[in-house]
Amino acid sequence: MAGEVDPQSDVSLLGGRPRTLHLKMLRKQWQIITLQVVATIALVWMYLEVVSTYVVNSIDHTMVFETLESLVGEVPIGDWITGEGRQGLARFYVPIILGLLLGGSMALMAFQSPKLQQRIKLGFIILLMVSLVGRLLLTWVPSMIFSLDFRAPSEGELKTLEWPLLMILSLVILFVYLLPVIMGTRGIWGLSRRSIGWAIGFTLLFLGIHAILTFPLIKSQLGDWGANLKTLETQVSDPTIGIFGFDLVTPEQLSLILIAVLIMVFQESGFGVIRYLEYAYRLPESCKRDPEYVKQMDNVLNGHLRHTAGFLTITGLMTMIALGFHSVLLEVVSSSTGSQWAAQVSESIELSLTYGLVISALLFLSLIAVMRFFIPWERVWGLIESLGNKTEAPVEEKKF
Amino acid sequence: MWTRKAAFTFTGGIALILIGMMITNNQMMILGLALITFIVVNSWVSGHGDIEVQRTLSADNLYKGDDLYVELLVTNRSNRRTQLLDVYDNIPHEMKLRSGLNQMRLNLKPGESARIRYVLRCPLRGHYSLGPVSLRVRNTFNLGVEDMYVDHHSDIVIFPQIKEVEEAFLRSRTPKMYTGATTLRTPGQGSEFYSLREYVPGDPFKNINWKAFARTGDLMVNEKCRDAVTDLYILLDSRDVSRIGTVLKNPLEMGTVSAASLAAFFLKRRDSVALSIYGDGLSYLPPDTGDKQYFKILSSLAGVKPEGSMPLQAVTNSLSGRFSRGSPVFIISSCEGDGTVPAAVRDLVGRGHEVTVLSPSSIDFERLVSRIPRMSYEVLKLERQNRLTTLAGSGAQVIDWMPDMDLSQAIMQVRGF
Repeated sequence: MAGEVDPQSDVSLLGGRPRTLHLKMLRKQWQIITLQVVATIALVWMYLEVVSTYVVNSIDHTMVFETLESLVGEVPIGDWITGEGRQGLARFYVPIILGLLLGGSMALMAFQSPKLQQRIKLGFIILLMVSLVGRLLLTWVPSMIFSLDFRAPSEGELKTLEWPLLMILSLVILFVYLLPVIMGTRGIWGLSRRSIGWAIGFTLLFLGIHAILTFPLIKSQLGDWGANLKTLETQVSDPTIGIFGFDLVTPEQLSLILIAVLIMVFQESGFGVIRYLEYAYRLPESCKRDPEYVKQMDNVLNGHLRHTAGFLTITGLMTMIALGFHSVLLEVVSSSTGSQWAAQVSESIELSLTYGLVISALLFLSLIAVMRFFIPWERVWGLIESLGNKTEAPVEEKKF
Repeated sequence: MWTRKAAFTFTGGIALILIGMMITNNQMMILGLALITFIVVNSWVSGHGDIEVQRTLSADNLYKGDDLYVELLVTNRSNRRTQLLDVYDNIPHEMKLRSGLNQMRLNLKPGESARIRYVLRCPLRGHYSLGPVSLRVRNTFNLGVEDMYVDHHSDIVIFPQIKEVEEAFLRSRTPKMYTGATTLRTPGQGSEFYSLREYVPGDPFKNINWKAFARTGDLMVNEKCRDAVTDLYILLDSRDVSRIGTVLKNPLEMGTVSAASLAAFFLKRRDSVALSIYGDGLSYLPPDTGDKQYFKILSSLAGVKPEGSMPLQAVTNSLSGRFSRGSPVFIISSCEGDGTVPAAVRDLVGRGHEVTVLSPSSIDFERLVSRIPRMSYEVLKLERQNRLTTLAGSGAQVIDWMPDMDLSQAIMQVRGF
């Protein structure tokens, strides 16, 4: 037996450059980039869905800028940046691009040396201070020196602070609105769990606060301001979107399902990339060069991509079916019995409100969960996979 | 089993549905429903540990300090993917990873295999077992986890290290004559001619072949065949007291190394070697020669553990009757906590045995792990010296073996053996 086992060697797979699990190389791997791109698309799409559902024409940033301009004067940021003057979702296109660029730059900065990071931060602070008080100091201090008079700044000189203060305030407003995009981009490309958490947390926080503020009792207390808040219908209208000939959900519900699924896509893709890169980073040097580890990393990443696409699509579809399950049930009962009962139930207020909907949806999900014990999903998947996958020939290792 | 993430997702989903129902908010309710659906959908497909594992070792026996190359072949024998599977090969904690890693995260297709290769350093002698192989199946989104293991073990014996012992220091003075032809085709003391070789300073003049000198002009000496073998008896002290010191440096470890080295040396010379280990009980390996005996001795030494408190005299009383007359006896003991050592040595010397006591200095080993006040150390050292002097007075050759001293260096203290 002795001598059968050789030490691991640095080998290349299928010719060409040797593939290893070093972060530098792994970050350029197509599966990792695909996951990051998927996460970014999901983030932007989710943001646009949330914004179009709750924010546009209700509490969007252009309205805040308009209020600000009516109170203190012209905002120094150009309208083409803020999106003022545009209609609907178009108001957010340029800010989102700026948010992506800012998040990307922050991610890029995270990979620089600590010294360079410190210099950039210092430069940013100096730039901020100079832009804030630079003009004031340049006018006030020389005038004191030339007139040999130690005095407080005049009103005209103080007015020079107005522009930088408004500029910073505008940037802060934009930053707050774009926080999920900025932090999400930074998290995805800068491999920061905390940033991804911030992006998701901020979105959920917004949805939570919005839900509380639009609660009828609270909304009535908010007066005119509360009237601006977009309220989703509490009663479900007739579904118009569905599959297999069944109308399952309304367009509003589909939009909400989309938000939920996109949050999950963003979360799982973003965290997945970090998880796999962390695993690769922790491997010892010899394993990073081992073709078996490289191959298995490929398998793991491909599996993640497949599951992200498959399971999250199915999650979306299942949620749709769950929400429309009551109508399917009633339709089945109506067609099978021909009685008036189904029609009466479908018009009942309990079913139109959330209670009946949720109960039928949870009933459906329970059935699906229990079906796991009756239908051998794993065997079915395995059969499909074994039909589709032919085992590859073992990789030839480099001989020494 | 659900992970913390799954539990949070499920709880969050239920909470959102309930809050959504309370404040009639569709978004919360749908978000909650989507989270629950995510859990349900993910529960459909789970991974499995239905795999075959085969471990290959570079050797079944190794010497202490050597490297062991391990290869673990993991094959998915089922008709479905393993999904995310963490494979971890359990290794004894005494072994250290030198290269590679004893674990891998994989996702095997049906029929696919993966090889995990790693190198272990074996710094401690003993009998070890590698395995079982632990498996952890994870859901892709880390929602479910299941632990299992494959009960696959590989046994390995780590022998004590063999140190080089120089011939000049160990020469038998009491060859045992066998009847019949026992000529050994190796140079040594004997009567039959073996070969001519060039004279080297130190060779006795009586061995010079004058005819050859006259013919060639160079001084040549006659070499003889060894025509005798020696029975060597090694008594190794493995009492509890021999654990004093560090894990790698203690009287027992040094004792096993010296016993293995001496046995290797004498067996290579085709002598017979017997080994007796005493501590908790007495184990005795009768004298024999050859590779088989070498393997038996190393295996016995590999499994020695410090335990018990059997006195040396009990050993000599029980074994001395079996010892060949006049044969050398090696006693490897720190001589601590055993008042019967002088009597036992006297008894052996009285029976005509050449007794050599190789005594690792346990006080100096203890100094490696704990601070002993100088005065106490001096007193203890003096007591030890007295003990060794008593043994020397009994007729034994005594070697005081310090922790930093090499075996051959220590044996140099013995003359004329």
